[in-house]
Amino acid sequence: MDEVTAPHVEELSRALGNEYKEEIKAELEKLLNFKVPLEEAKRTVINKFMLSSPSAVHVKDLVAGMSGFEITGRIIGIEEKKVVVKNEHRTIFSGSLGDSTGICSFTCWDDMSLEAGDVVRIKNAYVRMWNNRTELYFGKRSVVEKLPDDYLPDSEIPALSGPKKLKDISSVDVLASSVVVIVEMYHRDVSLKGRVQTIVEGVMADETGKLPFTSWIPLTGIDIGSFISFENAAVRVFRGIPSINFNQGTTVEPVEEPYELPFTFDSASKPPEALPAARILDNSGMFDIMLVGDIISVRPGSGMIERCPVCNRVTQKSNCRAHGQVECISDMRMKLILDDGTGSVHVMLNSELSEAIYGKSMYEAEKMVIDSISRDVVFEDMRRKLTGKYIAVRGNSSRNEFGVTVVAKSAWYPDYDLKEKVGSLIERIDRKVTANG
Amino acid sequence: MAEREMAYRLFAREFNDSQFQISPGADQSGEQDLHSPNFLVTRAGAKVNRLFIAGVVTEVEDIGNQKGGEKELWRARISDPTGTFTVYSGNYQPEASVFLSTVEVPSYVTVVGKVRSYEPGDGSVFVSLRPEEINIADENVRNRWVVETARLTLDRLDIFEDVLSSDMSETEIIEYLSGEGTPSYIKEGICLAMDYYHTDMAYLKNLREDVRNALLTIDTGLSSEDGSQSDAESLILELLEQTNEGKGVEYALLVKEAGLKDVSAEEVDSAIRSLLSRGHVYEPKVGFLRIVA
Repeated sequence: MDEVTAPHVEELSRALGNEYKEEIKAELEKLLNFKVPLEEAKRTVINKFMLSSPSAVHVKDLVAGMSGFEITGRIIGIEEKKVVVKNEHRTIFSGSLGDSTGICSFTCWDDMSLEAGDVVRIKNAYVRMWNNRTELYFGKRSVVEKLPDDYLPDSEIPALSGPKKLKDISSVDVLASSVVVIVEMYHRDVSLKGRVQTIVEGVMADETGKLPFTSWIPLTGIDIGSFISFENAAVRVFRGIPSINFNQGTTVEPVEEPYELPFTFDSASKPPEALPAARILDNSGMFDIMLVGDIISVRPGSGMIERCPVCNRVTQKSNCRAHGQVECISDMRMKLILDDGTGSVHVMLNSELSEAIYGKSMYEAEKMVIDSISRDVVFEDMRRKLTGKYIAVRGNSSRNEFGVTVVAKSAWYPDYDLKEKVGSLIERIDRKVTANG
Repeated sequence: MAEREMAYRLFAREFNDSQFQISPGADQSGEQDLHSPNFLVTRAGAKVNRLFIAGVVTEVEDIGNQKGGEKELWRARISDPTGTFTVYSGNYQPEASVFLSTVEVPSYVTVVGKVRSYEPGDGSVFVSLRPEEINIADENVRNRWVVETARLTLDRLDIFEDVLSSDMSETEIIEYLSGEGTPSYIKEGICLAMDYYHTDMAYLKNLREDVRNALLTIDTGLSSEDGSQSDAESLILELLEQTNEGKGVEYALLVKEAGLKDVSAEEVDSAIRSLLSRGHVYEPKVGFLRIVA
């Protein structure tokens, strides 16, 4: 049989970009065993692999809404879950799958007797958003094929290969390990399924960045300034920003010799450097960043607004979307578009920061509204005062359907050393001119 | 939902040299996407939909109510150290029109505007801006804009020159630009500019020289290249301030007045030219000078 099919397998494999040789052979032989004529069998094989090969994707490329693609990876963990779908009890399987580009969580609607450690190729899978992150789905209509164990060794799944720097932990990670210093920390009581539990929240940092964390387990002996090494923390995603969660499966240990680390408490906790807007736009969410640019627009919705006293929603004519006619609370805010010539980012300022940037207190602004009998007067005044001004903001960024928004935690007018900048730019030009002869 | 187009920083010289417009529906697909934005590609590889400029408004004209034209239309000239931007504001820019109809000329302004281009059919292209935002500014804002625009322009020129001075083939260039370190907003514009304009090193060098001159116009308190000139400059400014009315002061009159104080016509000429390029004075009319308030 081999001698008969070998040249055809060779030919098919070449036509399909020298891949899937084993699978092509298996498929072709299966068809020939069914006494399918050779030409028809070859056509079928080509069609089958032509369809699948261009749509094979990697974990990092998964985007909500994709469907009908093929993905190959190793099952890292899998567990059975009982859920109620449309009043019907069902058993589903959820877990995580990793390949050379990352790890994603998945849900399998049917029992495919998969086990942790299996290397699988899944055809006809789809992706939805679940818990703020992309999740892979497959079920009866998908084709799941187990591959030999050495097809994808553990060492090729980088997400499993040891600790990461904070800047490299992203929303595709499910689990993370790293060595960090705690720069902020506080305790908080939350009620979980009717039971009150104390959790620890805070911010961790290394020389590459900062991330928020939550610990569901007690952290004895650990405080602000502690250097810790943790393994297998769960990564959750909120508004595109990864957050680190310590739970039962996480090991947290103090670092014995922190002075050997490439960062100190002071170096890791210092304020962030200004980033170009283009960099911020490249990310779905970033924690604690700084942006400096020109206010190119003060958007409608800025100025004096009214909020519902119950839910804090912005109300229109004292009418809350959820609570109807309410006794409103006055508030001031600003929605700006900040642009540094590399990109445009929306920036939200609360009343306190608005007062600082606008230069008028909320009391003065309220007086303006009363004097002129119009709320728009504050918005118009903000536009006149602020359009074209150069400001710096610090806060978290996140992507939504309108682009990227930074919710400012602080905002100020930065110093601008004109003399120094002009001098260094002229020097830069002259250097270039000299270099070019 | 489309993301907001960013606001480019460009000097007037580079902007006005542009001829290559990409409009929606111009591609062969035939499918017109009315929501896709218009772009102008400059010779130095900026692909621009929106601009943010800071400069001196030197002239505002009411050109509305002309036959076949829009009822209300204002044309303003806004100058930076390298040239002049033309801004048209009509019925659909009511706020900008009100602003332009009342603005004192000259004064520092900032404008955020969409790029427009007009081809009369003889091969030439006129580019202009339609304002979205327009506001009063001051000298600090203008100076900072010049520095930031210079920095961003140089960033782009450096990449463009690297590409041109190498012997890379077209595909190698695309690969090089797709690599890390080149922001995507720069990459596309450079490829388009090379394709359409065949921009050469001479143009980029020239533009770099303009950027340098623009930076030199900023009064940083450093002594200017030729110290003796500042005396002539301050004399001119003094003379202009004394008679800062109406259409300004005639050039010949300035030379005569300065001559009385032992300043040669040559010195007056170079002083005036330097003041003009730095935006301290302007010409309301050819041969007349007026100080910028």
